[in-house]
Amino acid sequence: MFGLGKPKQISETEAEGEVERAFHEIRQTLRVSGINLNFRTWAGYQKFFPVMWDAMRPNAETRAFETAADRVRAEAVRIAERLGKLDAATSLRLGESQSYQIRRALDLYHYINPKLLVLTSAVSLALDGERTGGATGSVELIERGAPTQMYPMEMVAEEPEDTRLQELFEDIKQTLSLSTINSDYRTLALWPDYLAAGWRALKPITKSEEYKQASEQLRKMAGEVAQTLPYGVPLSRERVEELGEDADEIIETTRKFEHILPSLIINIALFELDWRTPDTLVQSPFPVAARRDIGNRQGGGQ
Amino acid sequence: MNWRDYQSMQRVAEVGERFVSYMGEGTGDPVILIHGIPTWGYLWHRLIPMLAKQNRVLAPDLIGFGYSDKSDCFDRSIARQAEMIDAWMEKVGIERAHIVAHDIGGGIALRLATCFPHRVNKLCVMNTVCYDSWPIEAMLQFGHPETRRKVSASTAVTMLKQALKQGFATSPHDEMLDGLLAPYATEVGKLSLVRNAAALNTNLTTEISPLLARIEAATLIVWGEDDVFQPLKYGERLVRDIPGARLVRVKDARHFVMLDQPDEVAGHVSTFLGE
Repeated sequence: MFGLGKPKQISETEAEGEVERAFHEIRQTLRVSGINLNFRTWAGYQKFFPVMWDAMRPNAETRAFETAADRVRAEAVRIAERLGKLDAATSLRLGESQSYQIRRALDLYHYINPKLLVLTSAVSLALDGERTGGATGSVELIERGAPTQMYPMEMVAEEPEDTRLQELFEDIKQTLSLSTINSDYRTLALWPDYLAAGWRALKPITKSEEYKQASEQLRKMAGEVAQTLPYGVPLSRERVEELGEDADEIIETTRKFEHILPSLIINIALFELDWRTPDTLVQSPFPVAARRDIGNRQGGGQ
Repeated sequence: MNWRDYQSMQRVAEVGERFVSYMGEGTGDPVILIHGIPTWGYLWHRLIPMLAKQNRVLAPDLIGFGYSDKSDCFDRSIARQAEMIDAWMEKVGIERAHIVAHDIGGGIALRLATCFPHRVNKLCVMNTVCYDSWPIEAMLQFGHPETRRKVSASTAVTMLKQALKQGFATSPHDEMLDGLLAPYATEVGKLSLVRNAAALNTNLTTEISPLLARIEAATLIVWGEDDVFQPLKYGERLVRDIPGARLVRVKDARHFVMLDQPDEVAGHVSTFLGE
């Protein structure tokens, strides 16, 4: 578990001041209906978090960023296709509404996780002192706000009362070396039988060498596309230290997410493949229009 | 039936940008059951099997409630909910139906009967909001935007459970109360309920009060006579204002009359619909 304990998270309902502002901006800019675990965890470093977000936002609102995430998503689908099928819903008596909502919930994470990975990779590169960005031409901005049909990021409690769910979360954490259960599993736990069946099928896959190599392949790809983002990321170890934060801990936390997210993206793609064709899944579930009435911004960012 | 079994039987329909989960049972003339706040379609789980013996029974979760769409930032007023029911009926291929409704669901039903009369065959309202009978203080407080921060989802459910108990003359099982509140036990569910409570607007029943006299649908008003949330006097006023309406007072019943006295209520409704 990368030697880390469980970092303090800040939830959306607890957020105040600059953290609350950043959460709001993240929802709007990343076009997402909730705040994922990596942001809730970074937010525990209250001086670092808004600075990190302000450093990433110019990239995060560009078409280039969206396209980079689209490439990661498409690659994950192709990888997942090779890994096999879960058939998680086959043995269950899911209702029509439950099935519909599971698909919508999967689409939410299928959309947002690749964006989180690209963003995390860019932050990680910046903290390692590597240069990113350098666009010179015009940069297209995308529209803001979560799509109206995006499923809300509804989750069961991190420590649920249901003992079966407790055991399931513990098994997922142990197997995937997680210190905290990700939002994705907490959302799928709204349908406990479905998550249990899916995890039963997924668990052996996650132990295979092919899966580990595929995760690493996706992580590398995200690092590469992060380097092609239009703007530099004005963030560094020195800047973090100036803020009075523990740079080592933040870098380790960031790396941890950089390692976790590729697997998570593949896992969600595996769940999705039970419901949709690979050719559908390589497309973004929420294609985005260009931002109107503002015009394109010249390179240079901040 | 427990709430998980109920949930697993729900169907779904997309209505514009939102989705509506609903229960559908039986065959025959369609009957639509509309719940109130803070419940969902599960409110009707005792009545559905009894009514489904002679009718096609449908029980939608209102938008923002139960297992229908709980995204943020849309209108949840009873006026919008009536429009949604109209659009949902179109979507599921029901031209006209008997409407049976409770609490704010009753307010929606009264709006359907006055603003979309072609949709309503017979009308039955139970312990409904009407005139200026609502919102009750507890719901006004729950709708305060700060509730989102100050009250966790689990605390909210505990508080609501206590409040719900006041709506029963009998002693409801914990499992059933948990079921009635299950969709609101997450932070998203709680926020959705806060938004629903904030959308409660008495003007949306007072503005249709002058139209009640024009309701042509046969109307039955069922009232748990010991209701502390929606007192009986409102049922007595409705029966005077809606032409030909009948009022049935149910003894040993409060707000949740269909759960306090399910057999008696199902009997009244079945007889009314079969007349």
